[in-house]
Amino acid sequence: MSEIDHNKKPMSPEEQKAYQARQKQRALITAGLLFFLVVLFYLITVVKISGS
Amino acid sequence: MTIATTSSYKLASARDLFALTKPRVMSLVIFTAICGLLAAPGTIHPVLGFTAILAISLGAGASAALNQWYEQDIDAVMKRTANRPLPAGRMDSETALHFGIGLAVFSVVLMGLAVNWLSAAILAFSIFFYAVVYTIWLKRSTPQNIVIGGAAGAFPPVIGWAAVTGDITLMPVLLFLVVFFWTPPHFWALALFVNSDYSKAGVPMMPVVAGRQSTRRQIAAYSVILAICAIAPFALNMTGAIYGTVAIVLSAIFAILSFRVGLSKTEEPSEMKAEKHLFSFSIFYLFALFAAVVADRIILA
Repeated sequence: MSEIDHNKKPMSPEEQKAYQARQKQRALITAGLLFFLVVLFYLITVVKISGS
Repeated sequence: MTIATTSSYKLASARDLFALTKPRVMSLVIFTAICGLLAAPGTIHPVLGFTAILAISLGAGASAALNQWYEQDIDAVMKRTANRPLPAGRMDSETALHFGIGLAVFSVVLMGLAVNWLSAAILAFSIFFYAVVYTIWLKRSTPQNIVIGGAAGAFPPVIGWAAVTGDITLMPVLLFLVVFFWTPPHFWALALFVNSDYSKAGVPMMPVVAGRQSTRRQIAAYSVILAICAIAPFALNMTGAIYGTVAIVLSAIFAILSFRVGLSKTEEPSEMKAEKHLFSFSIFYLFALFAAVVADRIILA
């Protein structure tokens, strides 16, 4: 559930833009890392299975 | 969940999260871990070897993040660290804590599942040692902080070795001791010429508590113990002539530079050439010594 903190000032349009840019950058990097981990775990599984 | 409606809301950038892992310190950790892995008898599949190094790096990053989370008050008053993400106000304290814990758990589980649980256990202990024993307990309470805390930085070659062999023998213990006894002269040389910063932060670094002359004598003493540990693998026939030559020559230079520091009486940081030389050489020394362990094993084996 979301709630709005009424004690704080709303962001200015510039701050909102910078905030969203950081959000987007983090989302893209997280997606990249998740893809890397998928590939890594796939390779680890192949190595483990072929090893046993 | 709270919707961000404020100009003071901090969303750490990916760059700041990366900076939280102290990437420059991590380079030495990665290097010594790779050397431990390559020097170990036996082989490891390249994918598992890469995963082991990745897990060690993530563990080191987790330790650094937890260290910066706990030390943000100290970092804020030191010029060298004031621009880190937390003291500079670019990141929430909670973000750093969650990032550090998440990274620590992930690195240990990754190591355990992909490599073996002995190396995962040593990795977990090294993170605990750095984040709790060194950062929370020792750093602010004793001038021996660097000596005992240095053990945390000495674990990577042991973990690299254990990743290959699944056990611990005398050789990785000696590699551990080399990093352990290298740490005090390395950091105290630095602390001698950045003394004022540590004083301001109230950190009981050896030069602040025991004085510069006592610290200089201890640096000289540690260089002798370091030389014994560095030459021991060759003396005990665990390595060949390549490592032996490098260890003897470089340990002798390290000892000479340390004794120059021991004899120095300079009080002015800008004139502390001997200390600066020792600090610079100490970094080269560790890199060269560990590279020699690997070269010795690959070429002579």
